[in-house]
Amino acid sequence: MSGTKTTSMAGMTNIGGISKTAQDPLQTTYDVVVVGSGATGGWAAKQCAEAGLKVALLEAGRAVSPKEFTEHMPAYKLKYRDHSPEVVRTRPVQKQCYACMEYNYEWFVNDLENPYSTPPGKPFTWQRLRVLGGRSLVWGRQSYRMSDNDFKAASHDGYGDDWPIGYADVAPYYDIVEQYVGISGAAERNEMLPDGQFLPPMKMSCGEIQLRERVKAKFGHTVTIGRAAVLTQAHNGRLPCHYCGPCERGCMTFSYFSSPFTTVKDAIASGNCTLFTNAVVSHVDMDTETNKTRGVTYVDRLTRQVKEVRGKAVILCAQALESTRILLNSSTREYPNGLANSSGALGHYLMDHVVGAGASGRLPDFKALPNANQPARPNGIYIPRFRNTPSSKKHSQFIRGYGYQGGGGAQFNFSAEGYGASLKKAVKEGEYEIGLGAFGESLARWDNYIEIDRDLKDAWGIPALHINMTHGDNEAALMEDAGAMGAEMLEAAGAKDIRMHARVEMPGMAIHELGTARMGNDPKKSVLNAFNQAHDVKNLFVMDGASFVSSACQNPTLSMMAITVRACTNLIDRFRKNEI
Amino acid sequence: MKRREMLRASVIAGAAAALGPALSNAQSGAQSSGQPSELTPAQSGVDASKDLAAPGWKPLFLDEHQNQTLIVLSDLIIPATDTPGAKEALVNRYIDLVLAAETPETQRAFLNSLGYLDGESMRRFKSAFRYLAREDQDVLLHALAYPRTGSGWAGDTNAVADPGHGHFEALKGRIMTAFYSSQIGEKELGWDGAFAHGPYQGCEHPEGEHK
Repeated sequence: MSGTKTTSMAGMTNIGGISKTAQDPLQTTYDVVVVGSGATGGWAAKQCAEAGLKVALLEAGRAVSPKEFTEHMPAYKLKYRDHSPEVVRTRPVQKQCYACMEYNYEWFVNDLENPYSTPPGKPFTWQRLRVLGGRSLVWGRQSYRMSDNDFKAASHDGYGDDWPIGYADVAPYYDIVEQYVGISGAAERNEMLPDGQFLPPMKMSCGEIQLRERVKAKFGHTVTIGRAAVLTQAHNGRLPCHYCGPCERGCMTFSYFSSPFTTVKDAIASGNCTLFTNAVVSHVDMDTETNKTRGVTYVDRLTRQVKEVRGKAVILCAQALESTRILLNSSTREYPNGLANSSGALGHYLMDHVVGAGASGRLPDFKALPNANQPARPNGIYIPRFRNTPSSKKHSQFIRGYGYQGGGGAQFNFSAEGYGASLKKAVKEGEYEIGLGAFGESLARWDNYIEIDRDLKDAWGIPALHINMTHGDNEAALMEDAGAMGAEMLEAAGAKDIRMHARVEMPGMAIHELGTARMGNDPKKSVLNAFNQAHDVKNLFVMDGASFVSSACQNPTLSMMAITVRACTNLIDRFRKNEI
Repeated sequence: MKRREMLRASVIAGAAAALGPALSNAQSGAQSSGQPSELTPAQSGVDASKDLAAPGWKPLFLDEHQNQTLIVLSDLIIPATDTPGAKEALVNRYIDLVLAAETPETQRAFLNSLGYLDGESMRRFKSAFRYLAREDQDVLLHALAYPRTGSGWAGDTNAVADPGHGHFEALKGRIMTAFYSSQIGEKELGWDGAFAHGPYQGCEHPEGEHK
């Protein structure tokens, strides 16, 4: 039974695969088996457990403890000061993520144990964690609502499909999630970016305010403070941010939202949730007579023993590609091409926001004077989409649009020229810098897909993915425009030495993977219905980013959580009506 | 300043109260034995900041001449002024440690750059760089420190291919990284060693006057 026992963590000392009760957790039939403990899995476990359902929550990695947080450790205490060869050796893919560092690389998957393949010339970077809380431990925390224009994008420009749900369907659940998570931000009444339930916004720097004023005056576009899942005041038992900076290394005050210390903790505290850590789920088990799932099979990450967890319903929240991988690996005679795949759409319409364009420059209007003892704001500014909106004319080169993240402030000038005492002085005098980076919509395309690579298995013998994705002409046109517009807006703000970039980075770089088990009203064209329930298997649900029909251009985690809460509300209702 | 200190104290006290014993364990780096650790050294609380200063230190990758050349060069790039410089920060030792773990290509590139410096020094002054008089070292470094362009006489001010400047920038980059990531480097930037400095204040100027 080793491997299902969790180490202690704040408020969760008595949990683990082995509960203290006499009942064997593996002989229990749970109401709901939730696979994945990240942003969406945490919510699914919390909602179901607090509603009185018996929940098994399965996480492929180990538990995580606040003892291992390193946000206050200076780089000089690291042996290699963040240039560790161990990261390079074991995480050649993961280290492409800015958040994978010598501090915390053990939170990220070991690439040697977790392979995937891509076609020649079509790289895809798949950056992920296997530890309780998943990527919610290191996420960028930017939290934006999607608008009705996003849910109904196809109706606006004729490309692709509308979602089976609209903004009004999700809005109440955005409220629930925001009120619990704590999102700091400012209301802007923007047609593409609905306002939410905000905690007080973080402040903007002088340069950012100048950009905001001049961009509004010259272009009519909105520059706002980032909407971040970082507390600006005490909230739901968590302390406000202490502005130390590197959230991705953990937070001793739990000021940024991560599931282990919020949703998962609540689920456990309800007394209705049993946590299985180190449970690498290989497939969903089917009862072919009833055409219903009866639970999942997992491989114990440490002992390699194969075990089953029984449930009346299964909710996959394993991350978009992982959830679909589980379904593809769950083929039966009835579903030879992957479970719940009578449509053939499973694995298709993979999306990831296109990045690689933006601009940066200096703002000589402002005194630089960087200060190492300044509070470090874990947030930036945001410019919501202004292309192809209801109030702007259609762009001739592309459909949809992009938003920018960015920021401005005094920085030490580590690129000062020369050498000697003058160099030392120039570094400290600094520069006042400002920059913008775009996130563009990734169109849902049938030919961006994942499938099982029959020749490749992970360290637990589970068939691995072949990921086939490229960004297309529309994404390239978005980035071209985003580079030029970024430079133009910085110029309006008074920036000098402007540098523009308009690359298309490889897919995966935005770490916003979406789609592959899309929702839809038509079972012939989609995998899930409007409540994230598989069309084909009535007690099977996928409640993570896999369900997305289109990607919009906003960071998707907030929407994923709201959609999960909506789907769980429906599922709980079905349990009450005895429909599961 | 007083307001900030107060805020900082309250944040830390609040955090300690919220975490209780867990925090004190984290600070002592305590770790249970048994299962192989799946924590990074940093997550286990390992503090490697004193390693490079260990008595009897020997280079892992550089030979004695290369090491001494790097010490001389780093001291010229970031000299001690009213504050300590690269030599005191032992940047040569950190660079040696990182290079020892690097790929052969990266190792070779570094030695090429260091070798270029000695090559130019031999060509112009008939002596290896580290033995030159200080003014000759300056003559050599000034020739490498800035990008070259055409003279402008015939209207041509385009950049001129200049391997020397590239080698200089490569060496300087390593030295800058090593220095400013050291404890001495953090102090040079004015860091007081505290991790929290009160809430971010942003622009505090009146409307329209944020300069």
